[in-house]
Amino acid sequence: MSIGRVHSWKKLVAQLVLLAVPTAILMFYLLQNVNATEALLQNDWFNQGVYFSTAMAGALVFYSFRFRVITTLPILVIILYLLYRFSPALAVGEFDGLTIQVKVEIFGILVTAGWLAGTGFARWRFYTIFWALLLLGIEIYAVSRSSNITASALITGFAPILAYAFYIIYMAELIRNMSKDEKYFSWFVLKRVFGFFVMIAVLLLGLYYFFQKDFKAIEKEYGGQGSYQEKGNSESMTKNNKDGSISNKDQTKLTGSLSKDQRLVFVAKLDSYFPDGKTPNPLYFTAYYFTKFDTMTQTFERDPAMPDNDLFTPDPSKIPLYFAKTDSSVIKNTHASVGRKVISADVYKVFMSPDDYVAPSTSFFCQPISVPNEYKSQYRSAYRAKMYVSELNSAYFIYNPAGNKQIEDFQKARFDVLRTVPNFTALDRKFYDYYTFMPKNHEYDRIRELAAQIGTTAKTPADKMLAIRSYFLSKDDYGQPLFKYSDNPGIPGLPSANKLTYFLFENRKGYCAYFAGATLFLLRAMGIPSRVAVGYLTVDRSSKNPGWYWFYEKQAHAWVQAYFPGYGWIDFDTTVPSTDTQESPQPDQTPPLNMRQAYFVADGTVTDIDTVTKKMEMDAAKIIFHDKDYDSKTTQHIKTDVSLATVSSDTGAVPLSYIKKGMHVTAASYSESLKNLTATDNDSMPSVLAKLPKVVPIDEIKVIEPESQAQKKKNAEQKEGKPVDWMAVLWTALIIIGGVIILLFASPWLIMQYLAAAARANKAEKKKASDTYTAAMFYLNQLGYFRTNLGPQQYARMIDSQFATGFEKFSNVYQKLKYSNASLTESEKQLVNEFYTPFIRQVRGQVPFKTRVSRFLNIYNTIHFFTQPKIS
Amino acid sequence: MESLIQLEQALGNIDKLTNNIEKVIRGKRMQIQFILTALLAKGHILMEDNPGTGKTVMAKTLAQSISGIQSKGSTNFKRIQFTPDLLPMDLIGSHIFDDIKKEFIFKKGPLFCNVLLADEINRASPKVQSALLECMAENQITMGETTYPLEKLFFTIATQNPIEMEGTYPLPAAQLDRFFLKIYFGYVDEVTEMDIYRNYLGIQDNLNHIQQVLSMDEILFLQEETEKVSIHEEIVVAVKNIVRDTRKHPDIILGASTRSGITFLKCLKAFALVNGRTFVTEDDVQNLTPAVIDHRLIYRSKEAKQKALASILNKELDRLSKLKIGK
Repeated sequence: MSIGRVHSWKKLVAQLVLLAVPTAILMFYLLQNVNATEALLQNDWFNQGVYFSTAMAGALVFYSFRFRVITTLPILVIILYLLYRFSPALAVGEFDGLTIQVKVEIFGILVTAGWLAGTGFARWRFYTIFWALLLLGIEIYAVSRSSNITASALITGFAPILAYAFYIIYMAELIRNMSKDEKYFSWFVLKRVFGFFVMIAVLLLGLYYFFQKDFKAIEKEYGGQGSYQEKGNSESMTKNNKDGSISNKDQTKLTGSLSKDQRLVFVAKLDSYFPDGKTPNPLYFTAYYFTKFDTMTQTFERDPAMPDNDLFTPDPSKIPLYFAKTDSSVIKNTHASVGRKVISADVYKVFMSPDDYVAPSTSFFCQPISVPNEYKSQYRSAYRAKMYVSELNSAYFIYNPAGNKQIEDFQKARFDVLRTVPNFTALDRKFYDYYTFMPKNHEYDRIRELAAQIGTTAKTPADKMLAIRSYFLSKDDYGQPLFKYSDNPGIPGLPSANKLTYFLFENRKGYCAYFAGATLFLLRAMGIPSRVAVGYLTVDRSSKNPGWYWFYEKQAHAWVQAYFPGYGWIDFDTTVPSTDTQESPQPDQTPPLNMRQAYFVADGTVTDIDTVTKKMEMDAAKIIFHDKDYDSKTTQHIKTDVSLATVSSDTGAVPLSYIKKGMHVTAASYSESLKNLTATDNDSMPSVLAKLPKVVPIDEIKVIEPESQAQKKKNAEQKEGKPVDWMAVLWTALIIIGGVIILLFASPWLIMQYLAAAARANKAEKKKASDTYTAAMFYLNQLGYFRTNLGPQQYARMIDSQFATGFEKFSNVYQKLKYSNASLTESEKQLVNEFYTPFIRQVRGQVPFKTRVSRFLNIYNTIHFFTQPKIS
Repeated sequence: MESLIQLEQALGNIDKLTNNIEKVIRGKRMQIQFILTALLAKGHILMEDNPGTGKTVMAKTLAQSISGIQSKGSTNFKRIQFTPDLLPMDLIGSHIFDDIKKEFIFKKGPLFCNVLLADEINRASPKVQSALLECMAENQITMGETTYPLEKLFFTIATQNPIEMEGTYPLPAAQLDRFFLKIYFGYVDEVTEMDIYRNYLGIQDNLNHIQQVLSMDEILFLQEETEKVSIHEEIVVAVKNIVRDTRKHPDIILGASTRSGITFLKCLKAFALVNGRTFVTEDDVQNLTPAVIDHRLIYRSKEAKQKALASILNKELDRLSKLKIGK
């Protein structure tokens, strides 16, 4: 046997440098990773890497000669086995023998693997694909063994392997395909390697650029480090707006920890008292209801399409001062008639966003009111809200100050009332189904089982609710509370695990959103319609100013509301009190009292403003005079004296010079001079204005931002805080990838359809013949009958011998049309016009359908058709 | 109209000639076509193959199918068996002393004929080879001060044994260039061979009874007609591409010359006519490329010889087959 060279030395060098070196580097890296988790390997990764690399390089050089793999590889394996078999004999002592044997074993495996890798690179074309998949498998194994699953660990684990996989497959094909006699061989390779890296870099940077936010979100979620350090990996119940104010978030995600701040958000005076008329009955302030839960992202979300929407969402900054906005549909949608009363609340905003609105449940009325001058620096704006609340509702629903007999009695009486609701059969089906919806899978089945277990003895929905409360407050076998409050409950080990079941069954620590979420699903599992409410927890701290409550940022809260027919939505809070952290005292301050009566309010646009004489003229379309609204179709001109007026906008007090011509303002007057002027029922807006002094003294002006500007602001906020719907991203990506793949595999068929249509169309002979010929050639090529090395006539003969078509005749006519100016005879013309369809039919009839389908899925044939053959 | 008739007549004549030769040489239609191509293109042909494949019979049959100018007897057919001791004079002729006239007169050699069969040309010494090839190129012989023109129809069919065989002087590439075509005769297929054996005596008979189907004038006329075959611009481009690609190919040391390109075009026209067409097609390019180009190239290795030209041709055929017409 003569041993000749298979490859040129150029190819060998290229393989060593471009395939073996990167592989060796990756192998060192991988071995280092595997050594970290596998004790058996004894952390000897460097030597192991050297074994592998040497064997790989050796095999590459060895098999670049004409050696046979089949015979040489077993010889190597036998040598290694013998080494393994007799190695203990070399050692002294039993223990050493075993160690050496293990070492030799590892050596043998790595050398064999390296040798196989080298052989693969040298000889087997598809080896690289197999090899890349194998490495990926090893990495998946290594990652699954490691306890530290973080975004950065995953990225550092998989990114090199993926990059390597792309690289090695591309490079092996490149080296395989190039001509070793290429004059500028190294330049040829260098050019392509450079091009490959530029492409990869562009791709990765592009991906990073487009998904930067999402990457950061993942990093944030799974505790990565980086610029998001300030907030850590925690979720907040509130969000910071651009202007420095605070809003409730319109979604709440279950995360590893909750961050809370100590800022004062707003102060409210609530006219809610127990029947004795002096004991305050605090109520939770609601911002939104979350009726949907996104199982993918573990996020509670608002649903604008919730049935019987009873959420009143006015924008106080858009309502002119002292003018009210009401929504009676809210009252209708509560479907509650029993034990309801209307109460009012005055909310003075501190850090709360000007356009936010919070109020106890089922508010229907919002009226911006003025902040007294001496408090203007403290409170930015204020509004009065009116609510249609249930008498059964109270912040003392579950947890009560011990020993307050009045409250205990109230609770008892209330549950007696609720127990009269036996079931929900009277409810509208759609409504009931919506509010008792629960995802169906294994995780939620566990919750269902728990719910059944908790509620076994309870008869009525109210008793079931109490059973849930008791469950959360129950103690374990050691007398410790079963559930603990924690702002940092941590997250389950697996990123995709269900945080709710993790909370309910394993961790049993969490903040309000966890308790609310778990309670929601327990209630729903029991068949009680329920939803999550978010807003602010109301704490009655001071007895100094009964009815006044202070709301700090940490009071942002989530709880559950359950629906009782007739009584409506009732607050239900199961969050257990925090035992670990000592609440720092938040002293209540002086409430903004001294409310003044506004005798006259006008809403309109400024037509003239003189900041020197402090005179303002405006066109008003509506006014309030002694608490009565008047409006007119035409605007009325009003002259005002603003020398005493305080001016404010959404952001707080502003100087008089802030007012410009054309601005939308609301001007109010508390002037005593207007106190005695009265209007009768018959008065209209002009007649009221006529009664006023020529120049009306104004005490307060509120500037209302133009809609467009506010809208822009709102949009910008929405853009910023828009949550990433991962499911949608995934689906979109899958659909796009799927579409591309389908398109790719359908492309031969699509091209054929196009060509066939072109061939069938009626047109001039030349064009017709040309299109027919192209279509026929494409069809035959796609079916695997290649033209390679054949002239048209020979090819046509081959086809004719196969399918007995008249392709040769047509081919000759086509050649005539193509290369001569001679005109066709009648029969030739006919042949051109009538060739295509019978020809295709004939061919189709002789190739089985299955074969045709498989051939048409083979895009290599298509590529073969469209690529110009290379000169070799 | 007249040219059309002439063309039809020409095509008929070619058919007659082909069929006539085919009566003797069986199963070799392609080779016959190549030989006629060389004849019509006013070139010469080199046939290479093992002894006994029918090369000589082929040449003889062709010569006998054409009648001479005097329309009596066949064309002037000469055969020279090349041997190592052959001298140029044996080909060209020599001055000999005429006893009666007392002067040297030129005794014409066998080159002064219409169809020359130069058998086993590679067995002669290079001196003789170049003498022959010069005549083929110039179509005239210069002896001393006198120049003697060769016959108007002068067609050389040279045969050679494969180079590896003993006692041969391989023709230099420059001289191979003089041959328009180099073809391989090859063995016939099984059925034909059996056929030949069955009446192997008959072959000689056939040769003797072969009819003179065309006159020399008609051949000359056909040669003129060949010039009129139309050749499409794209075919010319293809020829150019093939020729230039051979020069660029890494496995080819010596590529095709411009002269070979011109020869190629001439042969394409002739081949189209031989195939009964008045225009050149891709098929002509495909069939002729190996015959016209291959022997002019010097390859780096034996393997390269197999595939270099084929891949060049394949690339060009691919380009041609995808040309859109009728735009």
